[in-house]
Formats: sequence, C-alpha cells, structure tokens
Amino acid sequence: MIPFHRRARLAAAFLAVLTGAVVVPVTAAHGPDPVLGGGLFAQNQSLEFRWRAGSEPPTAIRTAIRAAADDIGDTRASKAATFLYDSAGANPIGYGPGATCGVNGLACFTRSAPSGFTMWLREQGHVFDWGTLRWCQMYTTAPNGCYDAETITLDEFGHVEILGHHVNYSDDRDYEDAVVQTFSRTKPNDGWNMHVLGRCDVATLQREYDVVSWSTPYSTCLDLDTALTLSANPTAIAYGGTMTLTASLKVVDRDAYDRLGGNPVSNRVVRLQRRTLATTTWVDAGTMAAGASGSYALTVSLTRSSEFRAIFSTPSAEGLNGDTSPTVAVSVSACPAPCPMSAAR
Amino acid sequence: MVESRWFRRAGPGIVAIGALALVASATLAARDRPWVPPPCPGEVTTGSRQPGSGAWFRIDPQLEAGERRAQRLLVGVTGRVRPRAMTLDPESFAAGPFGGRILVGTDDGVASSLFVLDPAAGCRAGIGTTSDVIRRATLSPTGDAVLEFRVHRRTRADLGVWRRSLRDPQDVLRVLPPIGPDGRFGPTWSTEFAWSGDGRALAVQSCGETACRTRVLDLVDGSVREVADPDLGELVGLDRERVVVRAACRGLPCSLYAVAIADGRRTLLGEAGAAVVTADSAGRAWAVFERDPLGGLRSIRLDGSAATDLPGDPSGLRLIAPASRSGSATDVVTGWVVLGPDGRLPPEGPYGPRFRRVPDGPALPFEEVSR
Repeated sequence: MIPFHRRARLAAAFLAVLTGAVVVPVTAAHGPDPVLGGGLFAQNQSLEFRWRAGSEPPTAIRTAIRAAADDIGDTRASKAATFLYDSAGANPIGYGPGATCGVNGLACFTRSAPSGFTMWLREQGHVFDWGTLRWCQMYTTAPNGCYDAETITLDEFGHVEILGHHVNYSDDRDYEDAVVQTFSRTKPNDGWNMHVLGRCDVATLQREYDVVSWSTPYSTCLDLDTALTLSANPTAIAYGGTMTLTASLKVVDRDAYDRLGGNPVSNRVVRLQRRTLATTTWVDAGTMAAGASGSYALTVSLTRSSEFRAIFSTPSAEGLNGDTSPTVAVSVSACPAPCPMSAAR
Repeated sequence: MVESRWFRRAGPGIVAIGALALVASATLAARDRPWVPPPCPGEVTTGSRQPGSGAWFRIDPQLEAGERRAQRLLVGVTGRVRPRAMTLDPESFAAGPFGGRILVGTDDGVASSLFVLDPAAGCRAGIGTTSDVIRRATLSPTGDAVLEFRVHRRTRADLGVWRRSLRDPQDVLRVLPPIGPDGRFGPTWSTEFAWSGDGRALAVQSCGETACRTRVLDLVDGSVREVADPDLGELVGLDRERVVVRAACRGLPCSLYAVAIADGRRTLLGEAGAAVVTADSAGRAWAVFERDPLGGLRSIRLDGSAATDLPGDPSGLRLIAPASRSGSATDVVTGWVVLGPDGRLPPEGPYGPRFRRVPDGPALPFEEVSR
C-alpha cells in the first residue's frame, strides 16, 4: 500500500501519464529508443530504492541490482535520473513472491515520474512455458541458458527512466546498440551480459534529459544537425592589422531534438578557412580555439581583403552532422607607402 | 443479502474485531498445518459454475535461498471456512473458483496431476494425470469437462489445448493445435485461459516475452479466431465480440484496449494499472481499471462508452487483477469487482477486501455480496 504522504505526489504524477502511459510508439529501426509516456524525472534526480519488505532479493541478486544502478549512473552520458540503494529509499524493488508482473517477462516495473517507481524480478526457478528461469548470478559458474540479472535490471532501470524497447533491424545486427530490448538473451548469446547502456539507449536519455555538459559527446545513435555561425571583429582593418573571427556552434533547434535543440557544442574541432576576395580557392587558416558555450575563436593578421568561413566536419565518434558557416568578409585598407609587397608585383 | 442488512448497519466494528481474531488464528493454523484433504465422495464432477460461493484461493511461490522450491496454495470460503494451506510442486497452478471449487494442477517432474478442491466440503477430487506437462487448465461452463494446455515434458514444445471429460476419463480430445511460431512474439512464455461472461467463448492467450497472441474458441460453433498484433500484450478479459488486452508493455500504467475479435479494430479504453473485465447485472461487459496511483477506478463499456470514474478506496485497497497477475481469486457475484491490499487477496482470505459495484461504484465488505 502507498503511504499517505506519498499519495498526493503520486496522484499528480499519474495524471501526467494518463495521456501516454507505457506505450511504444512507432519508431524506425535503429533509431534512438522510443519513449514511454508518463513524463520525466527531474534532471539528475536521485531515486533511492530499497528492498521490498517480505520480498527481499537474495544476496547475489541484490549485488546485481546495485551493480545495474551503478551501470546506469556510469554510462547514461546525460542528466537522466540516477539510482541508489538506501534502506530507507522510497522505491521498493521486490523479488519473487508477490511480483505483480503479469504473465510473462523476467521483471517488471511501475513508474510515476517524477515521484518514483517500483520494480520486481521473478524468482529463480519461476516456471514458464519454455522452461525454468535461471539467473546467472545464482551460480558459482553460470550455466548456459541463464539470464544475467544485472543486464535485466539495467533494462528495467532504463524503462523507469523513460525508455521503450529498442526497435532493431530485422536481423538484430544492432542488438547491442541497446540494453532496453523486447527480447532478452541468455548466456552465451551476444548481448546476454551488457552492463552498460547501449548507444541508442543513451541517445534517448540525452534527448529527454539533456547532455551532462556542452562538451559531452552526443550518442552516435543520434543524427543531429548543427548550425555554425561566424563573425569578425572588426570587419575592417588596416593593412597588416589583426582581427578576431569567432564561431558559434550549436545543435539546430528543432522540436524533434527535444532538450538538445539549441545546445551549444563545445570543445570540438572547428577550422577556419580563408580566401582572398575575388578568388575561389579556400585555404586553411588554422584551428579555432575552443571557448565557452560553443564558441571558437582565431585571431589573424591580414594584408588583403578576404572572406572567411568556419567548418565543423562531421565527427565519426558522435551523432552530430557537420556544418559550414556563412562567409564573412573582412576588408583591409590599402597598403601605406612604402608598401612592402609592391616591389614584388 | 436480506439477512445481512442488519449487519451492514450495526456490525462493521464487530466484523472487524471478529475477522481480525479469526484471521490471526486461522492464518497461524494454515501456515503451521499443511492440509491433506480427503477424497470427495461420489462422482468426479464439479457441478455448475454459479458464482458467489465465497470460495477463494491464493498461490505463492515458496523460496529457499532465493529459489522457488514449491508453491503454497491457500483456499477458503469467506465467513465459513478458515484458510487451508497445501504445498504444491514448483510448477503448479490454481484456477477458478468455479461454483465454489478450485481447479489445481501440479507437476512433480514426472507427471502432471489435476484435481478439484472443494473448500466448503473440505475434500479433493482427482481428475487425471498425464506424462505431458499441464501448464494451465480451466473448467468448462457446463462443469463436465476440463480444458488443459500442455507442453512436452522434455522439449517444452506446445502441445495445444485438450478437452478432458469429467464423466469419461478416456474421452480426451485436442481442441486447439499448438500455436505456430512467429518471430514477432518469440518463444511462448505463458499461456492463459479466460472465458467470456456467457461462457460461450474461451480465450487462449499465448504470450512471448512481451507481446501476446490470443485465440478465441467458440464452443458452440467450433470456430477459432486469432488476434495477433505484436503491439498487444496481456489478456484481461473478453466478451463475445472483443478481447480486452494491454499494450505490449513490461510496466504499468499501460494502455488498455478492447480489440474486436472479428477484424482487430482497437478501442482505447484508457491508461490502466490493474484491470479486470466483468459484467453488470444486465450481463453487459465492462472493463474496470485503476486510472491513477491512488487506486481511483474507471469503469467503461468495451465499446469505449459510458466511462465512469470512481474514487480510490479510502483505506488504500487496490483492484484485484485476474489470478494470472494477482495470484489470487475469489468467486465474485456478477456485477462486482474486488479490492484488496496490494491488489491481492491477503493470505488470510478476503477479510478486509471490499467489493465495488460496476459501474456505479458503491462499496461493500465481502460478506455483503458473497452469498
């Protein structure tokens, strides 16, 4: 039963889920995990869990559950909620008798974001039509055919966050891109013991909860367009004078990007290119120094009027698409006599 | 009902005190002394399925060092028979109650046995034994046959649904073939039965790890229709035209749909916690489900009409889902749903749980409507 002091909060939370609940929307294969309905927890919210009285997991399973909580904290790459064992925690995790999981599945959960959650794991020896459930953690040497309790709990924590089951390619070649999966795998099949979130799990957590900082790499399961702008200061200088070009790199602000839209993108490689006015060939002017909040700057000295552009090349290790800034023209006044270059002409 | 009206006005306190005392002693007794029921006299038959007997059961895994070693079955009759406890094999189940009787299956690793418990009479009637594994069984509406879902003992392959006559033990016939493989659902994790309110249609649901397929067998014309949509999950109940199922969720709340058996058309009934399908006094089917975390209920016709919201139970009791989810069941009078602590019948039986009438929601203690 729910204590009285939690009911008001739960009521408010449940109202939020009435429009969505735990429904898997149609999603293209291999994209970020779909999301469940029911709202989000606060960014970086700490969700303390306890063992459900009368349904405490055995020691080996407790260890696996705690490890899964650490796994999600270590690999979320976002401001998603974290999970922490606390004997006085508000969120019960139960094992075996009393599990109200329905007829199928290894584990189940309820979520009432932002108030809390519950979770159940089936007991070792639970019998399904296909046979008897074995948790790998219950053995000194885990037998083939067992399920890894840490992996399954990580999947459940992912659900609690907001993640729906990843939609795989038809041949499942991307199975290990997500730990939150419709079909769980047993030892020794690929992915049976994933102890980190997959990149498509992380993608959705980033989209829903935002990245940890502007420097955090974006999951390669994302496909985010960026916008690079460039400005010059000043835009007119004397012959041989210096000026600073400043670029600003952001994620394009689109509704589909949720919290990521408009994010500054810091500490990436942004290169500056230059061409003399009335020419067509761009030449490299150098790498711009990364500053705060997605800004990049480079100071140059000019003797001819020029155009500049900044380039952010599509990185191979994160889910950002490169961009090239519009050109910026800088005018340079005529060379004062004696002009050092005039003799060469 | 008539004889209990005085009780309704004057007796709640007495009931509470008396029930507590009875519960305490009965629970202790049930836990301490395994029940070994004697054979029921006469023919092995279960009679009619007239509801409202007050019979109930609850089944729980028994763990040692975190591993299931057995299941404990508690049975009783509210207000008349104290809880009695039996120990079953780890692979076992209970179904019903059917007209005051509970159908039990248990598998000892060599053979599966089926028997009927009559908690009011305090006896047991054996039905049969097979070398296959009987995973689930249910009683026919006429009370003269049992329908069994079996798997192969070694391979665990689906062997289909079998009808076993209670009058002639040799009369055993397969009425549904094994369900075919379908990668969208994966291996079958569980198979459950549910009856339409009029007893004409039997739903046989085969669930993969998340999504489920439902075959509806019409016992009158023998037709079988299938609802196989990987977006759909656990069966809640049915009437002649629709099955009520959850979306293929692993958690709650979860969308609840009425799906037309004929063409698969869905009607969203709501976002639901626990849910049941019941009938009103006119025999019309209603879905009743928890619509908020406080246990507030909504009743709604299966065509999506006549939604009515009812407040949560002030003492925190929750809607008791079908036995496949709650591991407990009682013989409910048509038109009522049952509320219990944590959405289950407590181990001492339905002392304390309350009934709510569908669709308008008046609440009564169990004793008021169970006979």
